[in-house]
Amino acid sequence: MAAPLEKRIILADYGKPDSHTLSVYEAGGGYTALKKALVSEKDKWTPDGIINEVKASNLRGRGGAGFPTGLKWSFVPRNTGKPTYVVCNADESEPGTFKDRVILEDLPHSIIEGMILAGLALESRQGYIYLRGEFYKGWQRVDAAIQEAYAKGYLGENVLGSGKTFHLATYRGAGAYICGEETALLESLEGRRGHPRLKPPFPAVKGLYGSPTTVNNVETFAAIPHIINNGGEWFKKLGIGNEKSGGTKLFSVSGHVMKPGVYEVPMGISLIDFINETAGGIRPGKELKAVIPGGSSTPVMTRQEVMRAKLDYESMAELGTFLGSGGMIVLDSSTDMVQLTKRLADFYAHESCGQCTPCREGSKWIADIIDRLIDGHAVEDDLKTLLSFTKNMGNGTTICPFADANVMGVVPIVEKFYDEFLHYLEKGKSGEGK
Amino acid sequence: MRAVENYTFSAKAEERFKKLETQFPERESLVLWALHLVQEDAGYIPPSAISYVAERVGVSRSHVQGVISFYAMFHDKPMGKFHLQVCVNASCWLAGSDELEKTIENHLQIRPGETTSDGLFTYNRQGECLASCGTAPVVQINADYHESMTPQKLETLIEQLKRDS
Repeated sequence: MAAPLEKRIILADYGKPDSHTLSVYEAGGGYTALKKALVSEKDKWTPDGIINEVKASNLRGRGGAGFPTGLKWSFVPRNTGKPTYVVCNADESEPGTFKDRVILEDLPHSIIEGMILAGLALESRQGYIYLRGEFYKGWQRVDAAIQEAYAKGYLGENVLGSGKTFHLATYRGAGAYICGEETALLESLEGRRGHPRLKPPFPAVKGLYGSPTTVNNVETFAAIPHIINNGGEWFKKLGIGNEKSGGTKLFSVSGHVMKPGVYEVPMGISLIDFINETAGGIRPGKELKAVIPGGSSTPVMTRQEVMRAKLDYESMAELGTFLGSGGMIVLDSSTDMVQLTKRLADFYAHESCGQCTPCREGSKWIADIIDRLIDGHAVEDDLKTLLSFTKNMGNGTTICPFADANVMGVVPIVEKFYDEFLHYLEKGKSGEGK
Repeated sequence: MRAVENYTFSAKAEERFKKLETQFPERESLVLWALHLVQEDAGYIPPSAISYVAERVGVSRSHVQGVISFYAMFHDKPMGKFHLQVCVNASCWLAGSDELEKTIENHLQIRPGETTSDGLFTYNRQGECLASCGTAPVVQINADYHESMTPQKLETLIEQLKRDS
């Protein structure tokens, strides 16, 4: 059952019994896009035909960065003499984000069909789905779906008798947030520690095993069959706001709302309507205090900012934050922002891969200062120090955006709710907190 | 549980490894997969498995050791039969994960990183969000998620696991 304001495209079968199986997926129109592309409309769906349709859809990377998918695919060179790889980033671990888990566990065939279509667009013969290690059930479901797709001839040496080959295999991570960063993911997929690589070269040119590679998010792949079936223009117009933010998007909402969960809504709807209508509103007797809109690495929004926000990439950017992964954490008036920051700061300190000094040391410093505040041992300048050194943590001083993500997640909370941090400082100085 | 002296793959792991060998053009990719197979066999990565994996995949032992030490899910020490991991990230904290931590500490008398003396339970705080925020708080026990957890449900579950083993 769709919730208010929902527009279910990717999630059409979500909640149906056995939605993870091939028969339910096919009954809902699954693999018709692939059949069009390989059989009934095969002249139309050349590699460029597919890429142009995805470009026309204005589909943007659903992992959080929001880079246009069609454009990303167009950067992958063909005819290099090397194999080309299609990789699905199913390392979902951005705090507050749990939308991909739903697709992996309940709608795995939509990812597979999207990846085969990407394989056709990039003339690739091999794809890999990299799942975070904790997603054991998701892995079982994806693995079973791959077996079903092989048995039915959607995967293998001669897909639907077209003469084209596409193989798909799974890979399991083992507990490292950084492997959601695409070059760290590729390192991990090559069997090493998940240390991000310097860019350029970008994965499009030199990715997995030094070959041209595209890495896309689970939800991004799941949208592809619908774009091929109904057209890029149709997908783009599903969004009701800005044209640059096409389609529907999955949002996972948690925290102090009555109906937390994963919802698919048109891009461009109002954030406060989404919270009040789709997610059931704030708990009774409480008021909205703040929202972390797109995973813990996106700057927190105050109540006033939430009231003005629309759920598309551009509107969120105008308010100084990001749509991100769509992993929304809603906070009511009872939330202790300092304690909240501790949870995030500890997480980043633990998950920094350790390659770059500003990130490795800075992440630890942030967590230490928040700890001192809470323990009552902070000194007068600690907060100023935090706001100062965090300016040097990202901004190109590190190989990957982890440090920027850490700073964007933590610093706006400190700045926008500074009084609460000062309160802890004062409490500590008076000896009350110790 | 599989012998940890002179570890070798179980028949099942061997069969899966042989299939995996056909799926990756470069053997180095097999390191993480091989370690997952070892851990499913033995419950952790015994020292003898390091050389074994290195030889089977064709990389150095230090490479394998480096991978084990990087990834939080690979354990180089024996674990309890049940590995309890309480997600303590933002959404689970908002939903009361503190109470779940207290429940485990009081009920089993262990702190994070420790194993009960009967070898049944190991407890860890999981700082990496488990993507169960809509059904927070979550406790992962071995491979399974236990969602929308309460202290009462957790106590009952722990007792159940004790009785079943």
